[in-house]
Amino acid sequence: MVRTRSNTRQNHLKLARQIVEVALERGLGCGDHLPETTLSEACGVSRTPIRSALKLLESNDIVQRREEGGYFLNLAPEEIGIKGISQLDEMEGSLAARILSDRAERRITDVQSVSALVRRYNVPRSAVLNALKILSSDGVVAQLPGRAWAFQPLLDTPNALAESLSFRLALEPQAITAPGFEMDSQKAGLLRQQMEDFLKRSDGSMSSVAFLHLDCAFHSLIAESSGNRFICGALLAHQRLRLTTQKDHSIPDFRLRQSLEEHLDILDSLERMQHQLAADQMVLHLRRSQIRKPQAVNRGLLPLARKGMA
Amino acid sequence: MNKPVIAFFPEASFGSALNCVGIAQQLQRQGAVPVFLCHQGFTGVFDEYGFKEYQLPASSKAASQRTEESWQAFITAHLEHFNQDPLAQLETYVRPTWEAIVDTAIQAEKGLETLIRRIKPDAIVLDNVIMFPAIANAGVPWIRVVSCAETEIPDPNVPPYLSGMAADDPGRAGFEAAYLKATGHAHRRYNAFRGRRGLPPLPPGEFLETSPHLNLLLAPEAVRHQRQHPLPEDLFVFLEGCVREEARFDPPPLPVNEGPIIYLSFGSLGAIDTDLIGRMIEVFASFPARFYVNVGGFLESYQSVPNNVYLGSWFPQPSTVAQADLFIHHGGNNSYCEALYFGVPSLVMPYCWDGHDNGLRAAQTGTGIHMQRDSWTPQQLRDAMTKLLEDKSLHQRMSRISRFMKAANGAAKAADSILRTLSQT
Repeated sequence: MVRTRSNTRQNHLKLARQIVEVALERGLGCGDHLPETTLSEACGVSRTPIRSALKLLESNDIVQRREEGGYFLNLAPEEIGIKGISQLDEMEGSLAARILSDRAERRITDVQSVSALVRRYNVPRSAVLNALKILSSDGVVAQLPGRAWAFQPLLDTPNALAESLSFRLALEPQAITAPGFEMDSQKAGLLRQQMEDFLKRSDGSMSSVAFLHLDCAFHSLIAESSGNRFICGALLAHQRLRLTTQKDHSIPDFRLRQSLEEHLDILDSLERMQHQLAADQMVLHLRRSQIRKPQAVNRGLLPLARKGMA
Repeated sequence: MNKPVIAFFPEASFGSALNCVGIAQQLQRQGAVPVFLCHQGFTGVFDEYGFKEYQLPASSKAASQRTEESWQAFITAHLEHFNQDPLAQLETYVRPTWEAIVDTAIQAEKGLETLIRRIKPDAIVLDNVIMFPAIANAGVPWIRVVSCAETEIPDPNVPPYLSGMAADDPGRAGFEAAYLKATGHAHRRYNAFRGRRGLPPLPPGEFLETSPHLNLLLAPEAVRHQRQHPLPEDLFVFLEGCVREEARFDPPPLPVNEGPIIYLSFGSLGAIDTDLIGRMIEVFASFPARFYVNVGGFLESYQSVPNNVYLGSWFPQPSTVAQADLFIHHGGNNSYCEALYFGVPSLVMPYCWDGHDNGLRAAQTGTGIHMQRDSWTPQQLRDAMTKLLEDKSLHQRMSRISRFMKAANGAAKAADSILRTLSQT
């Protein structure tokens, strides 16, 4: 049951990071109140996990609980973004996330031994094995014959991103049209609200990290609503991989807005039970996202397009 | 009155493409309809900012298939030339590049003419280094944007274009003669092409005339030259930089997440030199700062990235520079202007074109340090970064420049000037 406890802790940790991002995006400052109901709506989960995540933040002095009721931010606004998130990174239980992020950022090579990871992170062997099990359950690493572990391809390069979009283009419309598609209307409603709130932000204040969270949440909802369990499993694992390793800070505000509006259009069609139309809209949405900036340019030479460019 | 349609035609480089985006964003806010004519391969770049795009037709299927091969050949041939001085580069880099630019202009002509006829713009904004006759012959005002260094418009008090030398350098005459020799063949071909398209020839060494309607120059006052023949104010407008609105960059937290932020970008072409960037990263590993490094399409070339370094294939540069304490770049004019605009000192390591001019200018104006790409030692790199981070008087100077440039609002100035030109014709 170790894995279950670890996964629960991972979920609380993710939620804690999300709370820090919500506080940052809403311009909250030191001493500001963090109402559980607001956070619950913003993160699309019930108040119980929010409370657990707030306790995690409290144990790291990022928030404090006051007698008059509720949690309050304990950091100056400018410190929340970087210090808050890096503190979370150091929490017990985030070893899997640290290993994954170090691989995505090319700090460690794609084949690792347990001993090398023990040395690098200065943690017990059992903690490394536990982290590798978590990553392995998501299909991120696989044990090689012997003691080494190999990372699977991550979403860390422009070419990997192009391949990811091709993969999703093949499966996501199918996820919608496969018989038995059924969406949790409460989740969809919360997600719709979050996307509409995001769209109200002014240009220049739309965080690409927050967008990635929303984007993955939307596409995960599509995956988990699918009537085909294999498509669902493959897409959910892929969205988890995107959330942890996708490196793409290059989307201009106009495209971020357009992309969210496309999500809302797809939700509209799904709520009207027009599944074929929603699948077609998904194709359009992913094709638009496929267009990437050229890889290299120089005067007098045709720009070198990235692989997979539409 | 119908909204005026302004067609932008930037050259195939990110600097001019994104500089045009900044002006187009402002024109859109002022009620115009900016559209983009773009080179093959740039499709989608302007669409992502919300602008309609028209792609120039490919000259042939074979040509587009050759793109990857051309790039491989280009990289193989030119990587070693990046370390040469500007004079040596005239033969190895500048000559073939001008030949290629002339080829591009000839190949684009027919498609461009057809597109312009179809779009019927009220004005055309050309941000390039060469004239496309279809633009001069379009029958509407055309606006030249000089997004390269100011040296692109010659003057006895301005250093020779692409020379990286001072205006009064004793080697000036020699460089100018060598430049004319290196560009001679391409220039003759180009003038013959102009003749066929009904345009008068240009003087040797010149491939683009100034516009009789309006010319916009990025060059900020802080780094501008005192010209012997001042440019007439009614036709030449200095923008004090021109920074586009871009997505917000949230620096990803690093395992060692302390110290000033240093951003390194040599542009998409400079990212090709993975050896140089790799050597620099080795120095960064022991320097007390956080480094965000643009490695373009070459992320796969790097392993064992230090804990205080983050590699990305693209950064929303304005937001990234705004948060940086030091910007290491290649002297591309857009990068240099953005550094000045946000008051960030530059460490300039040029490898070609006007990067040489801007490298020297950064040193002359005390807005940065000019460093050779291939001859530094780790200690020299550390010393240069330390000096730029710790020099208080430099920071005060940079803050003043930044305040002045931000107040000038170059993008709005450009949009106003373009609309005024339109109303006068």
